[in-house]
Amino acid sequence: MASSTAGIRPRRKNNPLSFLYAKNVIRPLVAIAILLIIWQIICSGATPNLPSPLTVIKETWNPLIINPFFDNGGTDKGLGLQIFASLTRVAVGFSLAAVVGISLGILVGSSRLMYDALDPIFQVLRTIPPLAWLPIALAALRESEPSAIFVIFITSIWPIIINTTVGVQQVPQDYRNVSRVLKLTKLEYFFNILFPAAVPYIFTGLRIGIGLSWLAIVAAEMLVGGVGIGFFIWDAYNSSRMSEIILALIYVGLVGLLLDRFVAFISSILVPSEQK
Amino acid sequence: MSSTFIEIDHVDRIFPLPNGDRYIALKNIELKINQGEFISLIGHSGCGKSTLLNMISGLDKPTFGGVILEGREIEGPGPDRMVVFQNYSLLPWLTVRKNIALAVNRVFAHLPKSEREQVVEDSIDLVGLRRAANKLPGQLSGGMKQRVAIARALAIRPKVLLLDEPFGALDALTRGNLQERLMEIVQESNVTCIMVTHDVDEALLLSDRVVMLTTGPEAHIGQILEVPIPRPRHRLEVVNHPSYYSLRSEMVYFLNQQKRSNKMGKVGQATTVKAGHGLEKINLNIGFIPLTDCAPLVVAKEKGFFAEYGLSEVNLVREPSWKAIAEGVTSGRLDAAQMVAGMPLHLTMGLGGMPVPIINALVMSRNGNAVTFAKKFAEEGVTHLLQLKDYLGETPDKVHTFGIVHPASMQNLLLRYWLAAGGVDPDQDVTLTRIPPAQMVANLKAGNIDGYCVGEPWNSRAVYENSGDVITTSLDIWDGHPEKVLGVREDWVKQYPETHLALVKALLRACEYCDDRRHREEILGLLCRPEYVGSEQVYTSPGFLTPYERGAGREPELILRYNQFFTNQSTCPSRSEALWILTQLARWGYTDFPRNWLEIIERVRRPDLYGEACRQLGWQDVEPDRQTLKLFDGMVFTPDDPLGYIQRFNIHRNPKVSEIYLDVSPDSLSQST
Repeated sequence: MASSTAGIRPRRKNNPLSFLYAKNVIRPLVAIAILLIIWQIICSGATPNLPSPLTVIKETWNPLIINPFFDNGGTDKGLGLQIFASLTRVAVGFSLAAVVGISLGILVGSSRLMYDALDPIFQVLRTIPPLAWLPIALAALRESEPSAIFVIFITSIWPIIINTTVGVQQVPQDYRNVSRVLKLTKLEYFFNILFPAAVPYIFTGLRIGIGLSWLAIVAAEMLVGGVGIGFFIWDAYNSSRMSEIILALIYVGLVGLLLDRFVAFISSILVPSEQK
Repeated sequence: MSSTFIEIDHVDRIFPLPNGDRYIALKNIELKINQGEFISLIGHSGCGKSTLLNMISGLDKPTFGGVILEGREIEGPGPDRMVVFQNYSLLPWLTVRKNIALAVNRVFAHLPKSEREQVVEDSIDLVGLRRAANKLPGQLSGGMKQRVAIARALAIRPKVLLLDEPFGALDALTRGNLQERLMEIVQESNVTCIMVTHDVDEALLLSDRVVMLTTGPEAHIGQILEVPIPRPRHRLEVVNHPSYYSLRSEMVYFLNQQKRSNKMGKVGQATTVKAGHGLEKINLNIGFIPLTDCAPLVVAKEKGFFAEYGLSEVNLVREPSWKAIAEGVTSGRLDAAQMVAGMPLHLTMGLGGMPVPIINALVMSRNGNAVTFAKKFAEEGVTHLLQLKDYLGETPDKVHTFGIVHPASMQNLLLRYWLAAGGVDPDQDVTLTRIPPAQMVANLKAGNIDGYCVGEPWNSRAVYENSGDVITTSLDIWDGHPEKVLGVREDWVKQYPETHLALVKALLRACEYCDDRRHREEILGLLCRPEYVGSEQVYTSPGFLTPYERGAGREPELILRYNQFFTNQSTCPSRSEALWILTQLARWGYTDFPRNWLEIIERVRRPDLYGEACRQLGWQDVEPDRQTLKLFDGMVFTPDDPLGYIQRFNIHRNPKVSEIYLDVSPDSLSQST
C-alpha cells in the first residue's frame, strides 16, 4: 500500500521549498490563514471596534514594523527596544529567582526538617497572583524599576523551588546507593550525583518560571510605566491606537514562545538522553 | 573453617508493615564464606536474596544478628564490598571513563593522579571498552553498561564483589560472554563473590557453592550445594561434567518444591491477634506416656502455666503406648500429644497408614534414654559395645531380642545406630521388638527380651531392682538429641492457631521451670503421683535429680543434662535434626528417602511458630545453627548431603529415593467426612 502511493506521488526531493509541504508546517499555516480571513471579514464593517488585519498592517507599517529600533527619546521607541527593555527586567528578575530558587530547592529537598517547615509556606505563597505583590513591592522599595523586577522574581521562584525540591528528593535510590558504597563525601555527592540528578527537574521549573515571568512582566509594566512592552500596550490603549496593541501582542506571544524554547534548548544540551 | 572470610551470623530481617504488623523476610541466616569463594544465592522472587546481599553490602541492616567481614562487623556500606547493581546504576551524566574515575578517585585518593588515571584505563581495557570510553551510558547497549559496572566495581579492588542479578537483563549471547569474562577476572584477582541470581545454569557455571533460599516469609537456607566442577570452567564444557545435570536437576527440583509449598501457604500463623486470651478452644485433651520426660506437661498443668495462657481446661490423658498416642492424635480423640521425636514425620509421611500431616513446633525434652541389658550380659563380661559383637558371634544359635518403643522413636534409631556402629546389624544379628515403655522391666525380668532402649524411669528401675545394667546412655550416643516433642495435627492448628500458640507458650514456660534444678525435687513429687508416672521416687530420681546409677558396680554419676528441657535452646525444633531422623528411617528401610525431604521438614518442623511463641513471651527466638552433627562414632552429618551420609555407613539398607506425597486428594477427604 505504502509503496504504491509513493510511486504515484510526484517527487519533490529537489524542490528547495519542500519543507513547506511538511505536515507540521503546512497545517498551522492554513489554520492561520483561515483565522486571518475570518478576522478580516468580522472587522471589515464601516466602523469596527477593532481593526482588521489589513488595517493593522497599514497603520503600523511605518515606523513600527519596518524599523523596530527607532528611538525618539522618552518612551517613544521601536518595539524591538521596548521588548529589549522588558527582557532586561525579566533577565534580572528571573536570574535572581533561578539562583535563589535552586539553592532553596536543594536545601529544602535534602533536609526533611526544612521541607516540613517551609513547604506549607511555599504552597500558600505560590498561589498569590503576581500583581498582588506589586503594591507591597512599591511600598517597600519605593521605586518602580526594582518593584517590577521583584514581581518577576517572586512570580517565577515558586515553580523553580518546588521542582528543584522534588528533583532532589527523587534522586534515584540506585545513585544514592552508589554514593553510599563508594563513601562519597558530601561535596562529591552534591556535584556528582545530587545536582546532576536534579537537573531535569530544575529545568522543568525554569521553563515554567520563565513562562510565568513573561506573563507577569507585561502586567507589571502596565502599572509601573517606563520603557517596556507592557507600558507600550497601555500607552497605545490610552491613545486608542488599537493596531499597535495588536502588533505588540503578536510580539509578546512570539517572544514568550522563543523564551520557552530557549530554556528547553539549553536543557536538551545539558541533560543526557537517558535521564529524560 | 579457619579461613572464614565473611560470616553471616544468624541474620534476621524484619520489615515493619504499615498496619503495625511485621513481615519477617529472612530468618536465622547463617553462612560462612571463605576468601576467594564464589557463592550464588538462588531462590524465588521475593525470597529475600537481594535483601541478604544488601545486608552484606551494608546498604541494609539486619534486624537481629550481623555480618562479619574479616572479624569485623559490617556497620555500613563501603568500597571494600562493591556492588554490581541489577540495573547497572551508572551515572548517566558521566562518560564511561568518568563513571569509573569517580570510584577510583574516591577510593585511591591517596595515590598520585597519574596512577589513578592508569587504574581507570586498565579497567577500561579489562572489559574491552576502549572504544566506548568517552561515551555516555545512554549511548551504550545493556551488555556494555554491565561491563562498565563490573569495571567500576573491580577498579577499586574490592575484597568482596556483590552481584545482584548482574546478567538478568541481557540477551543470551551477551550473558554467556560476560559470564566467561567475569570468571576470568574473578579468578585472576581472587576476589570473593556473592551473586544473586535465579538462573540455575548461571549459578552452576560460576559458583563454588550454591545457597538455595526457601520462599518467604521467614526465608532461610534450605540447602547448600557444592559445585565440584574444576576451574577454569567454560560455558560449553561444564555441561559435560558428570555431576552437572544431577546438580542442575537438584536445583530445579528445589525451586519447584518451593513453588509448591508456597502455594500451600503456611499453616498455623495466627492471622489476627485477639485481645486477651481470645482462644478458639480452651478444653484440650493432651496425651502423654508415663515417663520422666513428660515433666513439662505435668508442670504446665500443676503449676498453672496452661491456665496462665488461657487453656483453663487441660486434661492430661495417660496413654498405654506410643501407638495409642498416634491413634489418638490422628483420630482426633487427642488434641495434642507428647510424641517421640520421629513420630510427627512418621505420621506425616503415612508410614503407619494414611498420611496425617502433623505440626511439631516444640521439642519438650532432650536426652534421658539409656540402653539396659539383662544381668546375664555383665556376668558374661559384656559391658561395652565392642564386646557385644563377639558375644553374639559366640552364640550364633541364640536369638537375642531387644525392646524398642516405637519405630520412629529416638530409642529405636539410637539403639540401631549404636548397634550398627559396633558392627551389629540390628535386623540380622538381633531381633528388635516393640514393647510399651512401662512394660519393659517386666519383660526383661520374664526373660522375653535381653535388653531395651527406653526412657526413664524404666532403666533406673531395672538397675534398682537389680534385673539389668545400663550399658550406655543416649547422651553417650548423641548428647543433646531431641527426645519428646509436641505433636499436633496440621488441620487442628489451622482451626485453632491461637490455641496452638498458647499451648506452645505454656509448655515453653513449663520447660523453663523444669530445667531449674531448684524445682526438680518438687517436680519429682508430681511425677510420682499415680495419675502421672506413678513410679517410686527412689528409682525415678536418678538422672533427673540425683546421680545416675548404671548398675554393675559402677559409681553413680551426676549428669546435669541427663534430662534436658530448656537450656541451650533445646526447645527449638531445628530442621537439621528432623533430616537426621529421615536419614535413619530410610537407612533402616522404614521408608524410601523422600526426594522432597525439604518440603516434608518445612511442613512438620515449625521453628517459625516456635519463634512466634518465643517472641510473644518476650524471649529472643534463637534458632540453633543449621549445623553439622556428629554422633559418638565420629560420622559427620551435614544437612546438605543426606544421601551420602546414609551411604557412608557400613551397615545400612539401600533406600530408594522417591517423592512422598503428603496430601491425600481432597476428593477422598471430603468423602470420608
